[in-house]
Amino acid sequence: MLEREVTIVNPLGLHARAAMKLVKVATESSSQIVIENRSCNKTANAHSILDLLTLGGSKGVTVNIRIDGDDESEAMNVIVELFESGFGEI
Amino acid sequence: METKVRFGGVIVSHGQVANELLSAAETVVGELGNLAAVSIGWHDDVEAAKAEIESAIKRVSRGNGVILMTDMFGGTPTNISAMFYKENEVEIVTGVNLPMVIRLATNTREMTLDEAAADIEEQGKTAITRAGKLLAPAAHRKDA
Repeated sequence: MLEREVTIVNPLGLHARAAMKLVKVATESSSQIVIENRSCNKTANAHSILDLLTLGGSKGVTVNIRIDGDDESEAMNVIVELFESGFGEI
Repeated sequence: METKVRFGGVIVSHGQVANELLSAAETVVGELGNLAAVSIGWHDDVEAAKAEIESAIKRVSRGNGVILMTDMFGGTPTNISAMFYKENEVEIVTGVNLPMVIRLATNTREMTLDEAAADIEEQGKTAITRAGKLLAPAAHRKDA
């Protein structure tokens, strides 16, 4: 199992279309992917856009990514890149 | 995701709400072949509206059943939709909101139509929150 902490940097935060990009990565991966916002004690399955939207992921919020599975390393790289690039919005 | 979606869905509303909800869901999720929208004009003929809903049901059906999501219980769109209720074939859930549409559009789980309708009803309810409390929970705790 891999775990990484990232900060949301894009101005709109983890909004609907950004969350959908995350879902697409999760759907293509065979691993279990969970995103957690510890500041408000919320955990989301990255396969569910509706789950992700309840994280309260606005700009500046730090979230934990936890990935468990065969392609966890590749999936982590792609997801960290998504967060760090502001979901391609900055 | 689209190919595994089990159920069809039709959003039925007063005015253009249905079209716009579908358009918003497609902006988020991508094109949704299993969903259709029927916007009933304020002065539309009931028979014409009924025919439009019937045609939409046929268009989106995948053989596992169709869920009609209407704007308001007691309103004309719901009352006309209710004429199509048939156990295991057509379900109606009222009070449609965007999370409900997205839920139906992305539901690939094995379940019955009855369970899917209950799932959408539940999703619609849980999606209604006081966002301030969700985003800043500490400020609302008694011990904060």
